[in-house]
Order: sequence, then structure tokens, then C-alpha cells
Amino acid sequence: MDVGNSVPAEAAFEPLLQFEMEMGTFLSEWQHCDHLSTYLARMISHNRADPVRHSNFFSSALNELLEVSFRGGTASGQIGLSIYRHGPVERVQITFPCPAEQVPFYREAVQKIDRSDAHARYLDSISTDMAPSRESILLDLAINFDASIRIEESTSPAVTLIVDLPLEGLVS
Amino acid sequence: MSVTGLSPNFKVAFDANSQVFSLAGVVRPRSVDEIADSIAMLKQAIDDVRGVLYVDVKRLIQMNNTAFHAFVRVALDACRARADLRMVIVTSSVVGWTTRMFGHLNQIEPQITVEVYDSTFYPGQSFVEDTSFIPILRTQTKMTWRHERSILPRHGLRPGIAIADVCCGIGDFAVLVQKEFQPARIVALDHSKASLAYAREVATNFGITDIEYTYGDASEMLLEDNQFDFVSCRHSLQIFNEPELLLKELYRICKPGGRVYITNEKNSHCLGEPRAQSIQWTYNEVAKLFSHFDMDVELGPKSRRYLADAGFDDILVESFMVTNLDGDPQDFADVITAWENVYAGEMAVRRGDTPEFIERFRQGFRDHIFAALHPKGYAGWPIWVASGRKPT
Ligand SMILES: C[S@@+](CC[C@H](N)C(=O)[O-])C[C@H]1O[C@@H](n2cnc3c(N)ncnc32)[C@H](O)[C@@H]1O
Repeated sequence: MDVGNSVPAEAAFEPLLQFEMEMGTFLSEWQHCDHLSTYLARMISHNRADPVRHSNFFSSALNELLEVSFRGGTASGQIGLSIYRHGPVERVQITFPCPAEQVPFYREAVQKIDRSDAHARYLDSISTDMAPSRESILLDLAINFDASIRIEESTSPAVTLIVDLPLEGLVS
Repeated sequence: MSVTGLSPNFKVAFDANSQVFSLAGVVRPRSVDEIADSIAMLKQAIDDVRGVLYVDVKRLIQMNNTAFHAFVRVALDACRARADLRMVIVTSSVVGWTTRMFGHLNQIEPQITVEVYDSTFYPGQSFVEDTSFIPILRTQTKMTWRHERSILPRHGLRPGIAIADVCCGIGDFAVLVQKEFQPARIVALDHSKASLAYAREVATNFGITDIEYTYGDASEMLLEDNQFDFVSCRHSLQIFNEPELLLKELYRICKPGGRVYITNEKNSHCLGEPRAQSIQWTYNEVAKLFSHFDMDVELGPKSRRYLADAGFDDILVESFMVTNLDGDPQDFADVITAWENVYAGEMAVRRGDTPEFIERFRQGFRDHIFAALHPKGYAGWPIWVASGRKPT
């Protein structure tokens, strides 16, 4: 996965939608992940070449990110989600509050995606883990959805994942 | 089956006779416990099978990593424990990520292979998805539209509704409907990438941006239940070897109270004067030729029965005849030329027909063209239109 190089210049990304929710409300119901990813995917896919399939693909990826936030997030503050587009790429920026001591684990998981053994690690996680780890979910996005993933940290205990998904090319 | 917290349209089944374990719908559990029953069913299926277990995921619309890991765990453990076991995971090219995700398993475990089922899945596919069909479809729709634009409102088409055109071909019907009836939403689905590419180009050239063209299998659509007020499927039921399957899908995506609209031919009833006999001989042979490839181009008058058997009510059937007098007779002749090229030039050749047969076969098309262009001639192509309402 060649992250970094393939990320187009910041300014070129056009905002498509922004969404915020109280983290407490988000965490009250597991189904929020499914419902939000289905709904938002449909909204942003309508003007893609194949809206039905783009939305199916996008929903898959977005749901995993929402599930990561659900499992790792804390109930104070807000979850924020922004989706941008540049050409064939959608950028998902997701921010959620999490315990300060967890932040390094996200950082480490993101760094590992860039390493040359990413594919082997992914296969290894499929064949040995009982349940998917945070890392194996990010690897899934990188390998099966060709995603590039970055992390941003803020002063408040929160994590921001920036995930570029070139799905238009994969779908058609 | 459905488990609390899981989407009601997640379905798991095992068919012991065909050794097929299938997963369909949306499965995004929070923990493995929520899918414990399904996991147990897979384990049971593995215990029951001899030889090959088929795992059918072609209608698996969404599966999160939690579910993926859980099912894969069982599959890998089983292969490790039983050297005799083989697993074939059947995916669809429509749901692209399943092929990618499951595709890794073969690298981990050679006893597991992945097959994309819809690369060759119906007998006439290679002819129908071929680009040589494009000119046929184009001229055909131009001619049928003259009739259908006034027929469609009788079958429930009106402005402001949600429409799906299934097996849309090159999408020109969708464009015409979009212009004439201003739907709130229109989805046009086909399994020919070449036709869809053409359709998108045509739409772009006309400045039309609101048609959702989508690649899909009409008998396994990604579209959700009860979405559309009007579902059309034109000239396509007749090329499926199992029209019932397709109708079931059309029914599923139609809203209760909405209507499914189908058009089909009865090719042996194409006619012309003069040279009626030669024409009739050839079109009888067309019907036989299609049936050789498991397609029933005589389906038109059977539409009423098909709709009734699929559970529709308020069924309406009518027919119309496209003729050389509808507009420019040359249009009619062009359609026949396109038929001759594909039917005699490709399909008969593929069936292994003799040159003598093919020559006689071609003659009927030429005579039909002769009748169409003759100053006192008459040439016709009859079409059956039928629609049914999905009960509320
Ligand atoms: C005879 S054409 C009719 C096209 C169009 N409705 C028209 O009237 O011009 C049949 C169409 O069905 C499509 N088709 C065949 N099998 C299909 C399937 N399983 N799913 C989706 N489309 C399919 C073919 O690609 C082709 O475009």
C-alpha cells in the first residue's frame, strides 16, 4: 500500500457532507453504525457512475470505521464525520473521543498499514484472530478497499482518522 | 432466521442435497454471540457434507469484519481438521468487496477456492452481452417507443414516481421515460458492462444526470425490497432460462400497490407480405434457434400466466404491432438486418448449422426487409405488453 504519495493535495477535496452526534447517543445503539453507514453512503453515492454499487462498497468501509469508533469511543463529547470528494476518491474524516491511553494504539495500527508486510499481517489476522482487532480492520480497508489512512491527534483525548477511499475506480 | 439486533433480512440456509450453505442479506453483528446460530449451522453443514461444500455468498450484501472472522474461523478450522474437505465460495461480481475479501482465503488455505458465479451464468449470455446487440436494441426501442409512450400510462406509469428498468440494455428506454414522465427516481440495471458504458455516454450527451445506471444481476439484485412504484423489464424475461426467478426479483423490489411491466415477443408471429411463406419459415426457425440456447422468444402470450403465478393481481395484457408503416420503413428494415446478423450470422453458426440452412434462414430476413420496403408491402413485429399489481 503506497500511502502518502497517492493522497491528492488537501485543497482539492470538496466537502460533501458533515455530521455530528453526541457520543452518548451514538453509543446507545449498536445499530447506529449500520443505519448511518447505509444512509450516508446512499446520499454521497447518488452522482457516482454506479450509485447502487458505489453505495454498497462505501457503506461497507464506512461501517467499519463507525464500528471502530463505537468499540473504542467514550461517552463524553461528540463523534464527528465529514466526507469529501476529489475525483474518484472519497475522503472520510472521523473524529471520536477515546481514552487518552488508547491513542498510541491507533497511531501504531495506522503506522503498521504502511509497512511492506501489511498483506502478510492481514492474512495472519484472518487465519488466527478470533475477532478482528483494530489493526486488522484498518488492514481490511487498506487491502480490500485500497484505502490510504492517516491519523491526527488533538489535545483533547480524541482520535481523528482520515481515510481516502478510491472506490469509484474499484466499482467500475 | 433472524436474531435480535441483526438486520431482519439476514438469511442463512443449508441445502443438504446440493451441499450449499448460503449467507444472504446484511450481517453486521456487534459480537459473535449474535450469530451463534448461524455459526452452528455452518459447523453442522460441514459435518454433513462429503467432498465439496459450496458457500454461496452471492447475495451477501453487507458483512462486517466481526462476522467475516467468525465464519472464516470455522471454515479454516474445518479444512485443517479434514484433508478430504473442499470448499468453494461462490461470490458475485456485482458485490465487488466479497470477491476481494473471500479471495484471500485461498492464499491461506488451498482447500478453499473462490468462484465468481456470474461470469457465465445463463446460456445466451455471450450473445446478449455482446456489443453486436447494441444496434439491434437501439433501433428496436426507437420503434417500440412510438407505441409504448401511450400504452405506459395505462399500466401505471405517471410523473413523480420511483422507477426501475431491469435489464435496461443500452438505457434508451430509461432516457425516454425520464424525458416524458419525469420520475422522482429512476434506476436502470443491466449485466452488460458494454451496454451500460454506452448508456452512460448517451445520457451524458443528452445532459441527463438523474438516471442511476447500475451493473447487476436481475435475478440477484442489490436493490432493496419494496422500493419502486413501477418496475419495467422489457424483452428480457424471454431470454432467461428461468423467467420465474427474475419475476420474483421484480416482485420483491416493487412496492405493494406498485406495478411490474413486462414486454415480450412471440417471434414466430412476425409477418410480412409479399413473400409471407419464406418469412414465416424463418421466424419459426428463430423460435427454435433461441430455444436451443434455452431462451423462449415465444413468451409474449404466456405473460399473463407468468404474472399470475408470480403472485400479481389486476393483470393487464395487451399487444401491439410494430410495422413498416409506423415511420420510416428503413428503420424497420434496419432492425431486421440487425436480427439477421446476430441470429443467422452468429447464433446459427454457434449451433453448428449447415451453410444451406443458414442461407435459407437468411432469405426469410431478406424477404421481410423486401416486404418492409415494398411500396405496397406490409411487415410486422408483434409485441405483448403485460403488467400486474403487487398486492398490498
Ligand atoms: C434483449 S435485451 C433487452 C434490453 C432492453 N430492455 C431493450 O428492450 O432494449 C436483454 C438485456 O438483458 C440483459 N441481461 C441478461 N441477463 C441479465 C441478468 N441476469 N441481469 C441483468 N441484465 C441481464 C442483457 O445484458 C441485455 O441488455
